[in-house]
Amino acid sequence: MKTPEILMVDDNPADIDLTSEVLAQSKQPFHVNAVNDGAEAISFLRRKGKYAQAPSPDLVVLDLNLPRRDGRKVLSDIKADPALAKIPVVVFTTSQANSDVIGSYELGANCYLRKPGNLADFIAVVQSMAEFWLCFASLPQKEKR
Amino acid sequence: MVATYTQLLAERYRGKLDADADKYIHYAVDGALRMQKLVLDLLAFSRVGRQGSSPHSTDCNIVLRAGLENLKTAIQESGAVIQHTQLPVVMADSSQLLQVFQNLIGNAIKFRGSEPPVIQVSAEAKGKEWVFSVADNGIGIAPEDAESVFVIFRRLNTRAEYPGNGIGLSICKKIVEQHGGRIWVESEPGRGSTFRFTLPVKPIPRGGYGQKNENT
Repeated sequence: MKTPEILMVDDNPADIDLTSEVLAQSKQPFHVNAVNDGAEAISFLRRKGKYAQAPSPDLVVLDLNLPRRDGRKVLSDIKADPALAKIPVVVFTTSQANSDVIGSYELGANCYLRKPGNLADFIAVVQSMAEFWLCFASLPQKEKR
Repeated sequence: MVATYTQLLAERYRGKLDADADKYIHYAVDGALRMQKLVLDLLAFSRVGRQGSSPHSTDCNIVLRAGLENLKTAIQESGAVIQHTQLPVVMADSSQLLQVFQNLIGNAIKFRGSEPPVIQVSAEAKGKEWVFSVADNGIGIAPEDAESVFVIFRRLNTRAEYPGNGIGLSICKKIVEQHGGRIWVESEPGRGSTFRFTLPVKPIPRGGYGQKNENT
């Protein structure tokens, strides 16, 4: 089986590094592709510019408050694009606002996870997320592009 | 406290552990400093409309001078030139008006292009209101972002390019609206931005500046 590709969209490099490190510790290998803002995320997904050779991600892990293109807009772009809509999107954010939870599901988020503030919970959440979406859940076969 | 101790850790142990440790310490220092700023800015945001002193006769020239004094370091470092016309006397909460001027001019310096910033502050009477303008020659804002820049936490640039937490303009908007005015931006990307806000020539009635009247 090919190594699952994760696209992580987060403007905080500390969160990206921590997530990558947690995933690197797991038994199953995952490949984390990281971009720091919403506009880059869309370029990556549509393979624009320097992302022409980018892999098609199996999972998008998306922060909400992002520079350039807001995470909510990125989410609605993904879900409105037939070529991307089937990719599961996990919203991964520090926001506890109920309006963000509801808004994300309304825009078609597959799951909303709050970034835990302490390390043990952070590790548990990231590991369960990757296991659930990339090991247990049945996802549509990727079309060759 | 968190920031100072992580900074102490960085100072004492940088280069003495390993590359991972240096990276973790860097993230901790950076995160603690950002959190500190975030807490202060959120407090400032939440204070608008709760703690404002009642509006009083405020000479905008004096407020502007105080704002420029607070921005002295940024002005010197960037080589910014700030020109202004004679500004009016308005009925306002002067410390809040100071925040508006300081935020707008601070942004004009921060989001500068390759040239040293040239910033023009002016005001003109239009009907029943004063229209204030802060015009710069900075990087500008795309038309589709002209409204969202005032939304809290909204940042158009990455933190690596321009640090910040996206609270400043939302504070300005809250203050201006509390005073019965409006704020907006006119801009052409790459050529500069002009932020404009209005204040009524005749102030809105008592109780309209955010202090909720407890009896109603």
